[in-house]
Amino acid sequence: MAGMTGGPVLWWGLCALWLCCTADPLKDRALRLMAETPLIDGHNDLPWQMRKQFNNQLNKADLNSIQTTHTNIPKIKEGRLAAQFWAAYVPCDTQYKDAVRQTLEQIDVVHRMCQKYPKSFMFARSSQDIMEAFAQNKTAGLIGVEGGHSIDSSLGTLRTMADNWLVDNGSDPPVNNGLSKFGIQVIHEMNRIGMMLDLAHVSEKVMDQALNQSRAPVIFSHSSAYAVCPHKRNVPDHILQKVKEKNGIVMVNFYNEYVTCSQTANLSQVADHFDHIKRVAGSSIIGFGGDYDGVTRVPQGLEDVSKYPDLVVELLRRGCGTPLTADCRMMFPSHMR
Amino acid sequence: MLFWPFSKLGLSGCMFSGISLFFFMHFAVTSGFLVEEKALVLMTNYPLIDGHNDVALQLRILHDNRLSQIDLHNISRVATDINRLRAGHVGGQMYAAYVMCTAQEKDAVRLTLEQVDVIHRMCSEYPEFELVTTSHALRSSKKIACLISVEGGHSIDSSLAALRMFYRLGVRSMALTHTCNTPWAESSSEIYTFYPRDNNSLTHFGKAVVKEMNRLGMMIDLSHSSWDTARAVLQTSQAPVIFSHSSAFTVCDHRRNVPDDLLQALKENKGLIMVNLHSGFVACGAKGNISIAADHFDHIKNVIGAESIGIGGDYDGAAKFPEGLEDVSKYPALIQELLHRNWSEAELAGVLRLNFLRVFEQVEKVRDELKGTLPVEVQIPLSEAANPCRLVLRPPNQVIRSSSVDSSKVVCSGLHLFALSAVLTLHCFYEVVSC
Repeated sequence: MAGMTGGPVLWWGLCALWLCCTADPLKDRALRLMAETPLIDGHNDLPWQMRKQFNNQLNKADLNSIQTTHTNIPKIKEGRLAAQFWAAYVPCDTQYKDAVRQTLEQIDVVHRMCQKYPKSFMFARSSQDIMEAFAQNKTAGLIGVEGGHSIDSSLGTLRTMADNWLVDNGSDPPVNNGLSKFGIQVIHEMNRIGMMLDLAHVSEKVMDQALNQSRAPVIFSHSSAYAVCPHKRNVPDHILQKVKEKNGIVMVNFYNEYVTCSQTANLSQVADHFDHIKRVAGSSIIGFGGDYDGVTRVPQGLEDVSKYPDLVVELLRRGCGTPLTADCRMMFPSHMR
Repeated sequence: MLFWPFSKLGLSGCMFSGISLFFFMHFAVTSGFLVEEKALVLMTNYPLIDGHNDVALQLRILHDNRLSQIDLHNISRVATDINRLRAGHVGGQMYAAYVMCTAQEKDAVRLTLEQVDVIHRMCSEYPEFELVTTSHALRSSKKIACLISVEGGHSIDSSLAALRMFYRLGVRSMALTHTCNTPWAESSSEIYTFYPRDNNSLTHFGKAVVKEMNRLGMMIDLSHSSWDTARAVLQTSQAPVIFSHSSAFTVCDHRRNVPDDLLQALKENKGLIMVNLHSGFVACGAKGNISIAADHFDHIKNVIGAESIGIGGDYDGAAKFPEGLEDVSKYPALIQELLHRNWSEAELAGVLRLNFLRVFEQVEKVRDELKGTLPVEVQIPLSEAANPCRLVLRPPNQVIRSSSVDSSKVVCSGLHLFALSAVLTLHCFYEVVSC
């Protein structure tokens, strides 16, 4: 009979242990935070995958079930992704050829993606639109053009496109030694029409010049901290300071090569970038710019767009604020408005 | 004796003759004034919507699209400016975003975007203008409404996505060709040797273009297309089509004009022919005058009725215009001539704007009926596009890399299952042992 009374105790004891193991108060807090404040990611290359895998024939793809990308609708939901800048990217090989047309095709694919899945996506052009989508529990879709070759050095073309734009690719031999006179005009025109200037991919010299020239805040849609990983795609500390002065934002890239300067990385190492930028310039200039579907190697623990909450958990664990307020919320850039 | 009739007529006879002559002269003069006034009143009530104007091209040629350097109220060396549009009682103008055929296979798309941009800027920087993109906005505009058209399929570089983007930018009409063939449609002109035709006036891709234009609600413009292309389009399109600036072939046998059988097909389609006023198409090369221009209207009316007619002047797209129709201020003179030819006010109200509005509305209606239809995703075969300036991306790989979905939740669940099964095993074992 002793076995009869000891059994249930053991049973309940082990169940309690099990419940403890499953309960993750930080995860709950992360999810609560993400339910109140929209997560905006600065850069995702799903449109490029649509081109690569389906020749932009969206009728042949089902974003509800596709498994060959980092991004699909269920993963977006799980990842609590509230707004995404979809990259309208075309290869640099199109420069001096049909870059403009191909860019229009990528912009078109984003529009069609939003139209095809109206329950999940809502096209957005403004911060207000982002909040509207959030209120409707949809993911706002914005467009970022990735590369100045897309406008073929034409301000008229710039005006007809919307959203982000880039200058000089740092890997090319310098032609203008930074921004040319025309490049400066492009910045001024972008300021005038209210188009965000994205400095991801530019050389350090252009980062500097652009930050001097731009009257509006600038963004790095998918770049990480140079001091943590000295890759030319990342942002040096003195530029972080300038971004802070301009009220801009650096949206941390998850690509392994930019996180650890090697082929492998993990979630904690991504969080190191957040920590560093926060130390140098404060959390108000930080955002998320995963670069999903634009890169091949992403960190362990951040394998796809469903994993954002786990990163938030890590940041909470590192004490971005107790109680949960200010610092943590800052990284969900409502201050992008 | 000679003076007998006069003496018989006497003073009263002279007076009668004089008075009759006076009234005749007065009538002759005032009826001219009356008609002129009638034309102006008519155009005040029904301001003209003109189908085709190339001032945007002139802005590029003369001023490099630098609007800041000119005053659009009064521009020299062109036929169009705000002052003259007002004098001409123009209430709506379709401005062509045109780029030359020599841009085909080069940078036609970019150049077209720049022309679309200059029209946007023109229409937003002057309070007299108002850009419109719907028939409702056009109908109710109290300003000079601007519409945007693209003149030539080479502007989309065989890309339906580019077509859709133009629509997003406000383009509401596209001519399928200019003076050059595209890979998928044929021009009426043989100036250029692009894509020589061989009984293939509207390819599979060309039909996809037509279908997509119907779905978007963009007017299909057959001016500049070959007759074969026009016939093929008239068979394919679900919406009415237009000739934005073409005249009657029977009156002037230029290939840019429309023969009677095509006019009939257009009538069945419920489309619209907007008469071009350029001397070359109206007077077959001679300078011409208002009367010869009016002959085109008369002829088309005889063949298919006034409800199929509009006006597409082609100002600033051509050099020579008939005497009396030199620029956009002269439209009232044309209306006056048609009034003299016993055109009714109702017919002229149609020609001036109501016919165009009707067609535009119907194009929008077809778009609404096609709502829910998927965007056309046809791609032009590379062999047809044959454009050396295209970067060819590798076609999609059928065997795609598999993704590694590695959710931490799965791992955690596995642990829990293991723990649960361990618990159950232990519990059972304990029960067995204790029993």
